[in-house]
Amino acid sequence: MVCTDTFSKFGRRIASTQGCPYIVIAETPNPIQDLAPDALRMRAEAMITTVIDGLTLPPAEIERRLADTVRQQIRPQGIVRSGTPV
Amino acid sequence: MTHAYVELELGSIEEFPARAYEHAYDQGWTDGLPIIPATGENVQQFVAASGRAADELIGLVPPRKGRATVEVIAVNAVMAGCRPEYMPVIIAALEGLMDPRFPLEHMQITTNPMAPFLLINGPVRHALEINSGTGCLGPGWRANATIGRAIRLILYNAGGALPGVYSKSAFGSPLRYSYLCGENEEANPWTPFHVGRGFTRAQSAVTVFRATNFCNISGSQGIGADEILRHIASHMLPMFSLGDGALLLLGVNHAQALHAAGLSKRDIQQKLWQFARLPTSYYAQTFVAMERAAGRGDAEMVWRTRSPDEIYIAVAGGPGPQDVYMAAGMPQTRLIKTA
Repeated sequence: MVCTDTFSKFGRRIASTQGCPYIVIAETPNPIQDLAPDALRMRAEAMITTVIDGLTLPPAEIERRLADTVRQQIRPQGIVRSGTPV
Repeated sequence: MTHAYVELELGSIEEFPARAYEHAYDQGWTDGLPIIPATGENVQQFVAASGRAADELIGLVPPRKGRATVEVIAVNAVMAGCRPEYMPVIIAALEGLMDPRFPLEHMQITTNPMAPFLLINGPVRHALEINSGTGCLGPGWRANATIGRAIRLILYNAGGALPGVYSKSAFGSPLRYSYLCGENEEANPWTPFHVGRGFTRAQSAVTVFRATNFCNISGSQGIGADEILRHIASHMLPMFSLGDGALLLLGVNHAQALHAAGLSKRDIQQKLWQFARLPTSYYAQTFVAMERAAGRGDAEMVWRTRSPDEIYIAVAGGPGPQDVYMAAGMPQTRLIKTA
């Protein structure tokens, strides 16, 4: 998954509802809407390693690396509403 | 089926309502307003009023795919302040909301503050005192206020659309508390909305729309049918991401005037479709390109909808020179099966 940092936890949460909690997410700082093509390219290049990891690492290794992240992001402990996205 | 019960320690019975509310709020079970505590007894009453088994599954509510069984629906309906006899309406609305063609998952998670709007037709309006006349969009009527609220609580508690957690709605919306009314069929000079969707007058039905706004159109500007409709259309602007439907709740005055002028509902749809357009120069060019690609525009104009069919007409409210326009589309209509 490729998304901005504002949406990455949310992206993992929604991916988990589709059975993919351990999805590899390449993230870049939000927002990107107004970036010029050159700046956008730099952002994309900075994410390439993560994209390659997501496409080539064995699933067991991805799960090992993401275990803590997944635990923290999908069911934020004790939070039932938040004025800033969690 | 597993059940969870909560025990609260109270100094006196007077503490119970406030403590129950505090607990529900802490757990994220409410929309922020007080709730009626769900007990084994009142939940059973609501299940019985549905005429269905407690464990009957009505659907899986996105995004967390929570099981909306009749019992889960009953718990939320109790908390919302419903009467047991509202259950068939809530269940029918949920069946519409969970139709695969209805974009419920998107509505639950998007930054746009979309909300379901429920239009209710048929004898059930009188049986349950669902207001379709003066003040029908609230506040003041229990059925109008609590049926929509029950839907919201189910979207929270079964669907998990908690604000800032699963729901990314940047602003939220007051329409998310409860957004429904009956159609004022008695003041509708044409056929009721649900009849146009294949039901009979004697049947009761609920239509769910994906809605995002509320726009009251005030004033009796315009003499003659075309001028009335031009005035209405001037409030129906093309808008980002919600081009696929417009719902007009015609007020009693304009419904009667347009009918007296010889217009059918189809004529009204056709005229509004032609009037609700603005020059492309009014908009950002990316928006113009997007709308044109979606079939909502030509070289000079951006159109509110792709065709007259996407303009939905119903009659509601009381006397007065007022109408209501909503960006609301993708309707799903379901029969209300009373127990």
